[in-house]
Amino acid sequence: MIGSLLFYALYPLSWYLSRRCTGQSEKDLSPKLINGRTEWDGGTATIINSQSETALLDQIRETMGDEKERVEEPDLKDNNTNLDMDKEPLTVFLHKETKNDTAPKMREMQSALKEEVETPKHKNSDDINPQQALMEQFKCLQIEDSIQEVTCPKQKQTQTETLDVSVLEAEESKHICSADEQVLSSDLDESKSPAKTTSEVTECWDEYLAPTGDVTFNAAGDSEIVYTDSFLSSTQTHPNLDEQHDAQTGWHFPAGPGLAQEVQCPFWQLPAGSYYPPMEPTVPLEVVWRIWEDLDQSAAAAECALTPFPSKSASMDFTVMSYNILAQDLLELNEHLYIHCPLEVLDWNYRCSLLLKEINNWTPDILCLQEVQENHYHEQLYPFLSQLGYTCVYKRRTGTKTDGCAICYRSTCFAEVAVSKLEFFRPETELLDRHNVGIVLLLQPLVGQGAGVKEMGPPLCVANTHLLFNPRRGDVKLAQLAIMVAEIDTMIKSCKAKGQHCNVVLCGDFNSRPHTPLYQLITTGKLYYQGLPAWMISGQEDLSYKPAYHRLCAPLWPSSLGITDRCQYITSTTSSTFESKHQKAGEHQYSHEFMLQLRFCPAACVRPKDLKLIPGVTDNTPDASADKQQDVNRFRHSISHRLDLKSVYKHVLPGSGCPEVTTLHSEGGATVDYIFYTPKHLFASEHKACGRFAGEGLKLTGFLSLLSEDVLWSMNGLPNHIFPSDHLCLVAQFQLDLSSA
Amino acid sequence: MNNKFDALKDDDSGDHDQEQGSPKDNEKEKSEEEDKDQSITKKKMVVPGPGEHPLQYNYTFWYSRRTPGRPASTQSYEQNIKQIGSFASVEQFWRFYSHMIRPGDLTGHSDFHLFKEGIKPMWEDDANKMGGKWIIRLRKGLASRCWENLILAMLGEQFMVGEEICGAVVSVRFQEDIISIWNKTASDQATTARIRDTLRRVLNLPPNTIMEYKTHTDSIKYSLGRLPWAGEC
Repeated sequence: MIGSLLFYALYPLSWYLSRRCTGQSEKDLSPKLINGRTEWDGGTATIINSQSETALLDQIRETMGDEKERVEEPDLKDNNTNLDMDKEPLTVFLHKETKNDTAPKMREMQSALKEEVETPKHKNSDDINPQQALMEQFKCLQIEDSIQEVTCPKQKQTQTETLDVSVLEAEESKHICSADEQVLSSDLDESKSPAKTTSEVTECWDEYLAPTGDVTFNAAGDSEIVYTDSFLSSTQTHPNLDEQHDAQTGWHFPAGPGLAQEVQCPFWQLPAGSYYPPMEPTVPLEVVWRIWEDLDQSAAAAECALTPFPSKSASMDFTVMSYNILAQDLLELNEHLYIHCPLEVLDWNYRCSLLLKEINNWTPDILCLQEVQENHYHEQLYPFLSQLGYTCVYKRRTGTKTDGCAICYRSTCFAEVAVSKLEFFRPETELLDRHNVGIVLLLQPLVGQGAGVKEMGPPLCVANTHLLFNPRRGDVKLAQLAIMVAEIDTMIKSCKAKGQHCNVVLCGDFNSRPHTPLYQLITTGKLYYQGLPAWMISGQEDLSYKPAYHRLCAPLWPSSLGITDRCQYITSTTSSTFESKHQKAGEHQYSHEFMLQLRFCPAACVRPKDLKLIPGVTDNTPDASADKQQDVNRFRHSISHRLDLKSVYKHVLPGSGCPEVTTLHSEGGATVDYIFYTPKHLFASEHKACGRFAGEGLKLTGFLSLLSEDVLWSMNGLPNHIFPSDHLCLVAQFQLDLSSA
Repeated sequence: MNNKFDALKDDDSGDHDQEQGSPKDNEKEKSEEEDKDQSITKKKMVVPGPGEHPLQYNYTFWYSRRTPGRPASTQSYEQNIKQIGSFASVEQFWRFYSHMIRPGDLTGHSDFHLFKEGIKPMWEDDANKMGGKWIIRLRKGLASRCWENLILAMLGEQFMVGEEICGAVVSVRFQEDIISIWNKTASDQATTARIRDTLRRVLNLPPNTIMEYKTHTDSIKYSLGRLPWAGEC
């Protein structure tokens, strides 16, 4: 234990020292003092560092898995100044060590380490005179600090940085600053608040920003901090947060409860002649919890420039929301998952009001809900949604569970072409013994208003499902997914028969993490599954320690399911449900797979009476053993599908590289919800003239950003006073080309 | 009139008539006995058995082989072509197909033909005379799989060109094998294009595969020696 701690503590230190050199040379080449920023403000060196930092952190994560949320914090700060970043991993380790209450020996090591950290920093500060004084003061402070308060130095460093900035930018304010800082340091000495509070505050420091206000330090020593516009824009230490400002025109959530008092902090008056603009009167603090990321602007501009006929760019924007709203019955069944929650946020009526507010806030054109409890759907959700102009399709799970899936779409935007409600429980198939369901809709986009409404553009297939949770049964999940995909494939085929291309939006709770085999099947269209442990399919938990786990082997499901390894229905006039409706009466169409199924049926193995024996021509005998061979060939060791699907979310937060989470409860957080869509390929538009379907593919024009696990825990996890479910909603905006109509 | 090709002969308006009475093949003599039965069964159309999956059209399997040692020009097409049997359902198709040798295992200069019942695998047939065919030349070793995929698509109505399809042929030759699919109207470009695209899909052809469309009138014009059937191009 101590050995590994030593390793992980000394390793970053060596990084730190080597990086310091790189940073130094970088600085010499291009002094970053320009534009009034700190000299540690980003640059190439920072980027390189942050990569190594991430790699390092990955290692740490492996060893210290359960304290992930603490360790990840430096990730968030990767874009901060080097000074900040270099020390943080160490601080975090120290923090961890103290938390773990290791032997006093560790403490010695900590102080030793700390001194080593200070030394290079000190050397570095020789270059920059105005900082030296500050540095030294802080060094003393840090050494004086008690070991139990290890997080304090960290916070102070961050504060030093802010002070440094002001020092460098407004020279005349130097003395006042140091004076302020004296006050501040004493404040901090006094602030012996519990370590937990301190660390939470530092988390907030990174992610929860007030778009207005000014830098303030609470004299009361509660370490309540409000970030400011001017601070952000002048230092540019938070590129991702700059985006927040750009996105202010977009949608956002109202102010969060409990944050108002932060605004009440007295403002730290900047001296006259400061770089900062004069202070605005206090406005109510509006916290943008989740940011709308607009992807359209630059791309759209470029496209307009290239398109010779702007009139032909008839398109339709629509938004899709996928949301697992946490059925109340399931919440009550799994109370242990929500022990961190105050009781009032678990109350259905409270959650429902938040939920309806959230839906109303985004008013998606298509709403895909999971875990919709039947009585709540009929009593609350449906009346509310139909009043908002939605048409709803609901499918309750089979079995005893009371929840189900729903797809609701705005009747002004879409007309229903076909509906298919899928039950994954198939009594005749042993594998499919779980009560999960899905819905597949075929929608026709509508354009115009009132009497002028007309159908236009290619149809859209919207699918919503909630796959089995059981982390050990990846095989069941794959089979359930195959049913879903086969149904979507049928919808697409029916469109193709009418000469239309059908775009797909597949969303839901797949109970699988990103980049796992199941995810790979969806996004790449192919999965080689032979021999994979069943738990690995969804990657929810690492169950490799279990002595015996089930491995997948071909065939994954029996042919009696009527689905091929290409995730397509084995069609015939009798078994196909959808196609037959759209076929001319009396037309006998059979797929390759269907024909092959009958190859060795008893009727086919009898030699025809009228078949003349011609040696070397008609003297073959059907080989029943070849049937087995055929079967194996038919159901290969891989499964595939023909849908071209891409995930809206990238599963890491832009900038910080922190994993996004879509669900969080007391046992941890992960991404398990997705919106997949048929992407628009560049070549499709180029080849439009050559007979490709116009309107092929959807263009992603924006999405609602997710949050990291740290941030959610700092809000006391999920559900909370802002987000009513243990999942976050996913929202994406697409552009559909209508010119094909 | 015991000749098993009577039916063919009656309808035939082409030049083959002149050669019809030529000396009999050994194979033909062997089959004399069965001819009566066959002519009876031929009269009535085959129907799907109970519970079987009916096909959109009935089809007939044919087999032809050039007798070695004789110059092709002296042999009649119809002397060499033999009807194997007709079927009306998926099950009946397999019954024939399973008892037939795969094209890749055929020896010599042979062909399998699969045509809609009532259409003879000849250019001169009423259904074919305005038509043409898509030809794909295959290196040795591919014929069996390609042929199976082709006829399954044809029987399963995967080409979606209405009644345009007439039949399909696989020709086993010395250094290569040739598969072709015949349609009624060579001038109907929408149809021929659709057939080509479906072929590419169902045969899973490599992208560089050369596909050639040939009208039967051209085939007649250029085959001076009256080399009678598909693949001899």
